[in-house]
Amino acid sequence: MKLQHYLGGLEGLGRINFEKRVFVQPWEKRIFGIHVAMMALSQHLEAAKVTPTQFKSIWTWANLRKLAEGMNPFDYFKYRYYEKWLGGISSFFIESGYISTAELETKTEVFLEKSDTPLPHNTEPAIDNQVIEYLRVGDSPKCKVEDLKPKFSVGDAVTIKNPLPTEHCKLPGYLRNKQGVIETVYEGAYNYPLQTGDGVGDPMPIYSIKFDSHEIWGNLTEPKTWIYADIYEAYIEDPS
Amino acid sequence: MSDSSREAYNAARVKALESLLIEKGIITSETVDKVIDFFEKDMGPFNGAKIVAKAWVDPEFKQRLLEDTPAAIAQMNLPRGMAGAEGEHMKAVENTPDVHNLIVCTLCSCYPWPVLGLPPYWFKDPTFRARAIREPRKVLQEFGLDIPESTEVRVWDTSAQIRWFVIPERPAGTEGWTEEQLAAIVTPEAMQGAAKVQISQSS
Repeated sequence: MKLQHYLGGLEGLGRINFEKRVFVQPWEKRIFGIHVAMMALSQHLEAAKVTPTQFKSIWTWANLRKLAEGMNPFDYFKYRYYEKWLGGISSFFIESGYISTAELETKTEVFLEKSDTPLPHNTEPAIDNQVIEYLRVGDSPKCKVEDLKPKFSVGDAVTIKNPLPTEHCKLPGYLRNKQGVIETVYEGAYNYPLQTGDGVGDPMPIYSIKFDSHEIWGNLTEPKTWIYADIYEAYIEDPS
Repeated sequence: MSDSSREAYNAARVKALESLLIEKGIITSETVDKVIDFFEKDMGPFNGAKIVAKAWVDPEFKQRLLEDTPAAIAQMNLPRGMAGAEGEHMKAVENTPDVHNLIVCTLCSCYPWPVLGLPPYWFKDPTFRARAIREPRKVLQEFGLDIPESTEVRVWDTSAQIRWFVIPERPAGTEGWTEEQLAAIVTPEAMQGAAKVQISQSS
């Protein structure tokens, strides 16, 4: 297991930092922009395949999450949100052979010494157009699967499975082995860009499931509290 | 490493990365600026605020928004991209005196970009993600929001493919306000269920 998958319900964490800003450091905007560009240029998108970029990889949320969840948990909680992105994305470019560690370190030194060193000039409107087009159109995971029928219906009492979690997982740990009731059967089926190793990947239905908070936390929760979670069908016990 | 040298190092490293990606022909000198610009002008909480304001003045629209969120949003004259990245499948829930909704993503940071923009820090804070799902009332109290015992609390853990947002309660004293005036007081926090809409914010 990874602590990252079992975060829900963890005790003893103290007060929450109610920081309302999206970026607290100017550099965080830059790594966010780089990530969006990678998502938009990911080679599973038809439009990206014909975009004149040297990016020849697939990069989706699943790739970023897998990197973050694959981290040593003690590191995961040591770094801030966008620091994890920066670390994960840099290692991805190095491991995929786009840049070398030496190149990145040398350049980092340049910007450390003189932070206003200008960026290189490279214009290619087709790349920028694709990035904006991706933001406008998105990349829907919804699939049309003709013969796929949801196994469960609204009102069914169901139990959540307890599959062995791998480095990446879409089932919150606190819901394992818990009982809930199907609230909504979302129309259609949903893909996931990676096989997570615990059942998610191929197109499948998703459900909103209603849980009594007391069923999950006993007396450690609060009165009149309900949890609704979106759960992939692979994580629900087969009806018997 | 001190905090300031840690940030200076991060800033230099991300510039180095951007610089190398431009050199290698992966992105252009303008790509990152264009992304940031898009989030300042096209995708952001200003869209969500307009949607909420319309729902407050038009009960039929609110009903449609709750039943088929994308179809209702598509009716509005918002910039292109309301079904774009992270907005492909959105769903709205409504706060009332009887029900308070709070959105959390305990696994990552799922968020409806087209209507709310990018998630604020508190939403991504591991402490928020850990606590909101077990003791939402206490968390909301720390945020300055007292939920009466008679009100049911619904916490939505959104870590699959649907992106959620809240239609907050319309504050008393806004009778006769225009949609524009109403939109001006709706905050991203209110549209995640972490705050109430306050009149004082606009006046």
